[in-house]
Amino acid sequence: MADALTLSRPKTVEVGSVQISDVSKTFRVEGRTVHALDDVSLAIASGEFISIVGPSGCGKSTLLRFLAGLDGPDSGRIAVDGEVIDRPSLKRGIVFQDHRLLPWFSVEKNIALSLHSLAGSEAEKRERVQYLIDLVGLSGFEKALPHELSGGMSQRAAIARGLAPRPPLLLLDEPLGALDSLTRSYLQDELLAIWEREKSTVVMVTHDVEEAIYLSDRVVVMEPRPGRIAKIFEVSGKRPRHRDDPDFVTIRREITDLLAHRRD
Amino acid sequence: MTTSTLNRPQLIWRALVLPAALVVLWSLLDAFGALNGDIIVSPLQVLKTSYEGFADGSIPGATIATLLRALVGWTIGASIGLAFGVLIGLSGVARGLFDPSIASLRQIALFAWIPLLSAWFGNGEVMKITLIALGAFFPMALGAQAGCQNVPAPFREVGRVLELDRRATLTKIVFPAAIPSILAGLELSLNIAWLGTFGAEYLIGTGYINGMGDGLGAYLAAAREYARMDQVLLGVLFLALIGVALDRLVIGFSRRLIPWRMP
Repeated sequence: MADALTLSRPKTVEVGSVQISDVSKTFRVEGRTVHALDDVSLAIASGEFISIVGPSGCGKSTLLRFLAGLDGPDSGRIAVDGEVIDRPSLKRGIVFQDHRLLPWFSVEKNIALSLHSLAGSEAEKRERVQYLIDLVGLSGFEKALPHELSGGMSQRAAIARGLAPRPPLLLLDEPLGALDSLTRSYLQDELLAIWEREKSTVVMVTHDVEEAIYLSDRVVVMEPRPGRIAKIFEVSGKRPRHRDDPDFVTIRREITDLLAHRRD
Repeated sequence: MTTSTLNRPQLIWRALVLPAALVVLWSLLDAFGALNGDIIVSPLQVLKTSYEGFADGSIPGATIATLLRALVGWTIGASIGLAFGVLIGLSGVARGLFDPSIASLRQIALFAWIPLLSAWFGNGEVMKITLIALGAFFPMALGAQAGCQNVPAPFREVGRVLELDRRATLTKIVFPAAIPSILAGLELSLNIAWLGTFGAEYLIGTGYINGMGDGLGAYLAAAREYARMDQVLLGVLFLALIGVALDRLVIGFSRRLIPWRMP
């Protein structure tokens, strides 16, 4: 599985397409049944940047964990490039909100760990790690331990770790959620640049509507009880987008209205 | 932490305030003739006895014997404890087999083993080392087990999404995550081993009866028997000093071994 990935060359074939069909999931919470996801279907094209927004409890993080292969649905089918997901894979990189860098490893070793299970020479892997460290702007911090990094730097390292194995599908779980607004908007541009260079499909969960519109091809709005897709918005404007463009403003108002309306 | 604003020498001076005050009080009481010589002797007398003890080699001899005994017992007990703890922490089957028994045996006070162990091993060195090792075993096993068992779930998930095999999961995630807990077990096990060593020396086959005991415990037992309060005080002082030194040594070693901070 893992050795099907190549480190050195960019992908040539179109991969990273996602098919989610009729996915449902219920949890038991304090004796009550909670419908985390109810009959959710969504198709994501190769190379697309998709954001999922919605209030807490709408199942957006659950869906992302399914895509990562960390959990599975009760019913329905989730496949990437036609292959049903049954466990985590390096073909689907994930970046968690709480960066989850291993505190005992340096930045360099944390990133290298994601190449541990891949085929390839040590030299090749070292080169890939260095490339990513440069890409996310952490040069000079190769040997730093996670507790020595700021929140933004930790998140960049986590993004580099997610990208290192060149996953056709990159999953981002509120990757910038814990950052201050300046670092945040800076990293949004970084994320765009990286996406354009790496040509991965990206699925990002966020609670920031503006961030979703700024980055994505499509914004999926979900609603809770039971968790389902309320509406999908196409964002057509060319990147880089401007937050005060009429189109941007219109779509933002539509999404925030929808979210406010559904919140009750 | 308020102590973080103080540097090291300042902290050391602060730590010495109370002992120094006690010595001053002790000297004053002595100077005013308030001390009953049968129960407590003057600081000067203790100093003199300590000089004699060093001169005739009895104090260094006893200290070395006790230290050696403690270290041998601790090494044996902690090694077995570490192996056991890791095994139980990693394997559900081993946990089911051993955990209830270990949890029960742990409830037995260390010195309550003496009658049983002396029946098996006599009153010699084997018996003492076994007792010390037994004391060191439990905290070490417990620390190692807790460490291996309680790896934070987010880190385990990182191992899963990075497709680490079992070996890499152990060496790159489980063991590093367990190290703080293992070191805490190591510290506690040394502590218990040190207490156990004194107990073993004091309670089992002490030198003044059959001549087979040595170490600070036997030194104290003899001092008490001959009502040598100066020697009693000196022995207690040495036990405390060496115990603290050992503790500091292990803590310093742990700090060096874990340069990272948990989030």
